[in-house]
Amino acid sequence: MRKPMMAQCKAELLRIIRNPYYVFWSLLMPIMFYFIFTRVVNTGTDNMKQWQAHYLMSMAAFSVMGSSIMTLGIRLVQEQTQGWNTFIRITPLPSSVYFLGKMFGQSVMHLFSILCIFSAGYLINGVSLSAAEWLFSGLWLLAGSVPFLALGTIIGSMKRVDTASGVSNVLYMGLAVAGGMWMPLDIMPALMQKIGRWLPSYNYGDGAWAIVNGGSPQWRAVVVLLGYLTVFMILSVYIRKKQEAV
Amino acid sequence: MEHVIEMKNVSRSFQEKQAVKQVSFSISRGSITAVLGPNGAGKTTTLAMLLGLLEPSEGSVKVFGLPPTDVKVKQRTGAMLQEVSVMDRLKVREILALIRSYYPQPMEMEVLLQATGLGAADLNRYAEKLSGGQKRSLSFALALAGNPDLLFFDEPTVGLDTTARRHFWERVRGLADQGKTILFSTHYLQEAEDIADRILLFNRGVLAADGSPDEIKARLVKKSLSFLASGDPALLRSQLLELPAVEGCYEKDGRLHVTTGNTDEALRAIFVNGLAVQDVRIDQGKLDEAFEQLTLNPEEAAV
Repeated sequence: MRKPMMAQCKAELLRIIRNPYYVFWSLLMPIMFYFIFTRVVNTGTDNMKQWQAHYLMSMAAFSVMGSSIMTLGIRLVQEQTQGWNTFIRITPLPSSVYFLGKMFGQSVMHLFSILCIFSAGYLINGVSLSAAEWLFSGLWLLAGSVPFLALGTIIGSMKRVDTASGVSNVLYMGLAVAGGMWMPLDIMPALMQKIGRWLPSYNYGDGAWAIVNGGSPQWRAVVVLLGYLTVFMILSVYIRKKQEAV
Repeated sequence: MEHVIEMKNVSRSFQEKQAVKQVSFSISRGSITAVLGPNGAGKTTTLAMLLGLLEPSEGSVKVFGLPPTDVKVKQRTGAMLQEVSVMDRLKVREILALIRSYYPQPMEMEVLLQATGLGAADLNRYAEKLSGGQKRSLSFALALAGNPDLLFFDEPTVGLDTTARRHFWERVRGLADQGKTILFSTHYLQEAEDIADRILLFNRGVLAADGSPDEIKARLVKKSLSFLASGDPALLRSQLLELPAVEGCYEKDGRLHVTTGNTDEALRAIFVNGLAVQDVRIDQGKLDEAFEQLTLNPEEAAV
């Protein structure tokens, strides 16, 4: 059992690293945004240092959330439509190992994204945090990606790559903007703020923002994320069961 | 003899359409069986049920005495599916190594690399960059990855040129010589005839015939006689149809053709009765035609 597990993880990792879109969507875009909104555009904040650390977390969260929803989702649909899944089903590989391999690949990729974006923050703005802050914010971003991975598996159950990529794009951008990842929620209309605070994206970012602000993630953020995780997982399992029943 | 595959009264419907109807057969170890039939005959559905990809709506499917979804069955089975797809962003070598790792007793890597028929340079290419034919070769090697006892090939030679086709069947024969049980689907009659020691003929979801290629042939092929009428063709025709050995009579290219199950019997009757015929020929029916006959719609066949 260990051998296929290792092989599966290795294969998934290789595939992700070799994907050129990954570099663009998960690394270049967030780093570009980071540069623009901390160096080029004057956001008029009083505490520049704090804003630079805050926005670094926003962009790291933005990157990881995107790859969880889009990369995972679209990849799953691709494998389904191209018939690769069918082939895997006739091999003795348990679907759990296949699935875990995917999650492992994603997580390593997320870790790499976080490291790259944190380094960019240090290089671009000299963001300096305590070792504990770097570590915990990184861990939070890694752990908090799980509900979005579950959302990715829902996207992954779609029939067509076009639909999946369209829907995941809209979801991704919508969650990012409405969850205060592109600009803080405080500058948005009251209603938007109210909605935003219940979104998984806001609560995901909020944990990291709290850490770099010298605090720790609020229980509320943890609970909301766990709630979304539960809902997404139930939905994902339900959809898959329904599809298999045909 | 040990039965590797047993299908009993299996039916499978998709919504309203019944793709496979009441099919039963068993396959013994070490045989090469062709599932033959036109498109839409239920071949792929049958294979999918044997592979555990589809549940039968009715009846039971057993492979090695177990349900096809059992992991013990999967460990001993390999398949080349109709839709050839490979994982992207992995090199040929890496895909083979990955799939090998799924099986307890995989085929040796060297053997698999050879089975792909690919050169050293292609083995290090990304699998999705291979040509269609090369992908098929790769998927053939993937079917062998677990060193299976039972192999399924779903229309394996579609889109292959003559040389590639010959190479493919040579390799399949080699596998059969090692005692592996092989089941393949095809709509090429010649292939079924040349390769298989048994043909399961499917037509519109029904197992229409089951036997050795010779048996199938004897059952399907009707020999015919043809001749020129030396007198009145209309009279000759009515006389012919009165003979018990004659099943049918039609005119083609100016010659009168007679279909019969037994040409000797029919000839004797014609001469004994002194019918006015000349330039008699016995035509050996071709299996292709017979197959076409069998698979035509009843309405079309009547025309």
